[in-house]
Amino acid sequence: MSKQDQKTRTIEEINQKIIKGDAQVLTAEEMKKLVESSGVEVAFKEVDVVTTGTFGAMCSSGALINLGHSDPPIKIQRAWLNDVEVCHPGAAVDLFIGATNSCEKKPFEYGGGHVIQELVAGNEVELRATAYGTDCYPRAAVKTTITKDDLNQFYLLNFRNCYQRYNCAINGSDETIYTYMNKLLPRMRNATFSGAGELNPLMNDPDYETIGFGTKIFLGGGQGYIIGEGTQHSPKNLNGTLMVKGDAKKMSPEFLQGAAFTRYGTSMYVGLGIPIPILNEGLVRKTAIRDTEIFTDVIDYSVMRRDRPNLRKVSYAELKSGAITVNGKRVRVSSLSSLKMAKKVAQTLKDWIDEREFTLTAPIERLPLDTVVKPMRQTQEIPFVSNVMHPVVTCMENEEIRAIAERIVTKSVNHIVVIDSSGKLLGIVTSWDITRAMAEGKKALADIETRRVITAKPDEPLESASKRMAQHNISALPVVDSDRKVLGIVTSEDVSKLLGR
Amino acid sequence: MARILIRLNENLVSEPVVSEVILENKVLVAILAAHINSKGGEIVLEVPDEEVDKIVSAFRQKGATVTVPKLIEIDSDRCFNCGSCVALCPVEAISVTKDLSIQFNKEKCVGSVCNICVDACPARAINSVRYSNAEHMRSSSSGYREK
Ligand code: SF4
Ligand code: SF4
Repeated sequence: MSKQDQKTRTIEEINQKIIKGDAQVLTAEEMKKLVESSGVEVAFKEVDVVTTGTFGAMCSSGALINLGHSDPPIKIQRAWLNDVEVCHPGAAVDLFIGATNSCEKKPFEYGGGHVIQELVAGNEVELRATAYGTDCYPRAAVKTTITKDDLNQFYLLNFRNCYQRYNCAINGSDETIYTYMNKLLPRMRNATFSGAGELNPLMNDPDYETIGFGTKIFLGGGQGYIIGEGTQHSPKNLNGTLMVKGDAKKMSPEFLQGAAFTRYGTSMYVGLGIPIPILNEGLVRKTAIRDTEIFTDVIDYSVMRRDRPNLRKVSYAELKSGAITVNGKRVRVSSLSSLKMAKKVAQTLKDWIDEREFTLTAPIERLPLDTVVKPMRQTQEIPFVSNVMHPVVTCMENEEIRAIAERIVTKSVNHIVVIDSSGKLLGIVTSWDITRAMAEGKKALADIETRRVITAKPDEPLESASKRMAQHNISALPVVDSDRKVLGIVTSEDVSKLLGR
Repeated sequence: MARILIRLNENLVSEPVVSEVILENKVLVAILAAHINSKGGEIVLEVPDEEVDKIVSAFRQKGATVTVPKLIEIDSDRCFNCGSCVALCPVEAISVTKDLSIQFNKEKCVGSVCNICVDACPARAINSVRYSNAEHMRSSSSGYREK
């Protein structure tokens, strides 16, 4: 068979070409264009490797550090790097610093991700550690500064990276919420999404034909390896993840950046890229995937439950266009991960291969294709608003204050909810509002009712409703459904009865 | 140019306060936004930098409340172009260019009276700065990228 008619090629053959400087490497973006313009057969003949990339917030990232022994030696019990408490999973001087560990002085602003970035950049970081002292490790405390050059090992060790795709987040409530999907404005005024779509490594090899244990990758500006599937790897619904490791001493602060999400905490943006060897025409078709073919769900993050309402399916093409339509309304949407940096990752990896600095590895084992994500086994139920809410005393807007005052007394309640003829929430008045209105001789309810009412949803955890009451310094929340129809009321008394506070 | 926010109370809305200040001080100001009803009003004005102090005290003398909003600055060294800020901006002052960079149009930005994007930047690249510190920003027409 002549070389021209070959229908498959091996990683070994590709590596030979890379070493000779003959390999044809395209970024995922270029590959899609080539397949579209010239077809699968031509693309197979012309292309040996396709490089992919992503750059996003990957909270389950961290670094393993070995400090070397102090004199006298210490068996660290607690340790801090730039005031970020880190954990010490092993013997005396091994530390693991997680990206979401946060600084005690600036809890939401500076964290493990920032410390890792500083170390990678070559900056000095302050180490503080304490210990109980043993005969073999007598020292009780140590304080020093370190740089990456002082460390024996400094490995990036990320146990869940590179989500194949992710949700699009939106907020259907009346208040701004701050999430790991960033700031979500009330009443669906914006939406956020994450992931590189058609540039994402796993999306370009969705059957994990070439990506597996032992695959050499671009990680944080250096080289790393896939050491297994990531936690919560869920390939059947295209939610694959990776566990990766790489020498952080050789990485770059451009591709590993600490991040802070207001009222959520700290994280780290990680640049990760995978070369896909084009071994057969099937891989040509797979790497030709477009954003129009990749879908995700628009999820309402204001619902404080594990299973949140799914509002619609949306393609990455729509997400990247800057606006989507939800419930007939145009919602502007922006990316949380950087598409510009994702492209840079793919381009850098391509340059490395072109310059013969990077060869490919065949996986020694494939990633699982059948694992599923189970929910937590919970032996204790937590209460929800629906468990404690009770019927509410209501009134209409055109009623006289005197009539309402009577109702407050006869029903012995503190809150009366104002509704319209279809039972929808208009406002709320308290016994205090009424007493004051009577004293001031006011007659119209409209003058005293509160119209910006803070509400609760029946399926919301009681805990979060309680937090909201405390936040707004109020003692009751009308419970409403998604149409703002009043279902009942939950009061701070109900909460203290059940939660004991 | 600097932006200032004027608040008028119930008694002042019926007076020609803005025109009086303009005429008496002979300064050209642009009205960028105004929300006025019988209960009071809010007006955003654009004033030449060197006249800010004069105009602010003129409005204060007439009984108006004046705030000089801080300007927003995006630090291009810290920004990693994630794009989180883009859809948050109510006046579309932040956009994505063809090469997927973030472009900030300070002419459109209303400054610290808005501030919506500031706490949403994971790189903490967006800051509120006093207008006098932000002089260098105003020399270019379309934001920090050309700086
Ligand atoms: S402060 Fe407001 S107007 Fe200015 S850029 Fe940010 S969101 Fe836009
Ligand atoms: S949110 Fe911050 S890092 Fe992201 S694009 Fe805007 S300024 Fe840049």
